Amino acid sequence: MSVLAFYARNSQEVLGLVWQHVSLVAISTGAAILIGVPLGIALTRRPAWRGPVLGLANVFQTVPSLALLGFLIPLPFLGGIGARTAIVALVLYALLPIVRNTYTGIAGVDPAVREAGRGMGMTDGQLLRLVELPLSLGVILAGVRVATVVGVGTATIAAAIGAGGLGVYIFRGVATVDNTLILAGALPAALMAIAADGLLGLAERRLAWRRT
Amino acid sequence: MLYTPLILLLSAGCHRSDRIVVGSKNFTESDLLGEIVAQQIERRTSLPVERRFHLGGTFVCHQAITAGQIDLYVEYTGTAYTAVLKLSPGPDPDSVYRAVAAEYQRRFGLVWGRPLGFDNTFAITVRRADAARYGLKRISDLARVAPRWHAGFGYEFLERADGFRGLAGVYGLRFASPPTAMDLGLTYRALAEGKVDVIAGNSTDGQIAALDLVALEDDRHYFPPYQAAAVTRAQVLEAHPEVRRALAELEGRIPDAEMRRLNALADVEHRDIAVIARDWLRVNAP
Repeated sequence: MSVLAFYARNSQEVLGLVWQHVSLVAISTGAAILIGVPLGIALTRRPAWRGPVLGLANVFQTVPSLALLGFLIPLPFLGGIGARTAIVALVLYALLPIVRNTYTGIAGVDPAVREAGRGMGMTDGQLLRLVELPLSLGVILAGVRVATVVGVGTATIAAAIGAGGLGVYIFRGVATVDNTLILAGALPAALMAIAADGLLGLAERRLAWRRT
Repeated sequence: MLYTPLILLLSAGCHRSDRIVVGSKNFTESDLLGEIVAQQIERRTSLPVERRFHLGGTFVCHQAITAGQIDLYVEYTGTAYTAVLKLSPGPDPDSVYRAVAAEYQRRFGLVWGRPLGFDNTFAITVRRADAARYGLKRISDLARVAPRWHAGFGYEFLERADGFRGLAGVYGLRFASPPTAMDLGLTYRALAEGKVDVIAGNSTDGQIAALDLVALEDDRHYFPPYQAAAVTRAQVLEAHPEVRRALAELEGRIPDAEMRRLNALADVEHRDIAVIARDWLRVNAP
């Protein structure tokens, strides 16, 4: 049976899983931005934290997904089985590119520009809001773009812990030796990753264009 | 001197085809059996053995062996019958074995050895404390408490013809909510942590004893037999009859209790599977 025939027969289920998948990526990437951007800014103010924080974010990247989910199950509040645990794992995976790019973007702002701001009497908050963030937005957005695209792929592991998403078809297909099912899950995930990459790339270019 | 490059070329060619590549699936028991088989071939023949272990399940192993990427791995009769050949399960071990062996030979050019001895069936598993409190011994006892309980099952169990749907029908099981679909390895942890109340493990898993769980008896004989045996490419056995003789020494030598013991050594005591395999071979195939 071809993938298209499979979709025609299971359209309701497919749409439901696609929606679950999009939600998982949107919520986890959103949370990672809310945590990661302030964290990245904090690192530019406290350079001593840079090593330990980026090191920890690096470590999360290296923990295999099933092992991470296994560690999360016994935890109160964050753990258990279902969407919440999957989102926690996805946030941990998304943190590194966002924190790192926020730090790199702000640290890369020309010191002369920063000095000029200070010379105009800007406070630290004004400097951040009016000079550093606008100038580093492109780099920060590039980090968000990487986190989102990787997140679309990684979100397939949500299916390992009862949180649904397109990984359901992949896990089912692998378990039942069925290529059609694997493709039914993998194809929309790939399209979603390409679409997310394109949209965020467009946003990045518009920002770069506005600046010049 | 002139022939040296040619000889080198030939011997290099021979070396490639004479290497035996042993595969295994992505769980402890499959790795252990792969290691036992690999060491047995190393002990009994002069062929170099390459290990390609922990491949992603039945699907990947089957693809790998039919593509000639691996030469042999240990498969289960019930799994081959239902998941690969997509036939509906039958209860008789011998007829399932004969059907699988004949079909594999005909369709894939793969040869099934005789079973190694144990039967690794699905094990409907609950916490020991729950089993004692509600007097659960058999799967049919589960129907009483099921309406208040939550189940977590692996994808394979939820999808297979010999999995949950049939089981629910035969035993009249209705849970409080539809079973949570999750990774098989994570179901043990979810059960031990009280996140679900019943799971479907494998009867030879070391975690059942280690996490203080009990497997319920399949009193209506729903599950088909899952006898383990080495599946080898026919070409390899024709080229190297000594491989067949080496594998034959293992047939019928691993009963259920022995497989559980070996799995527990690896999963619970975290012993190295190469050491477990070596010790087992020294005693059981001297």
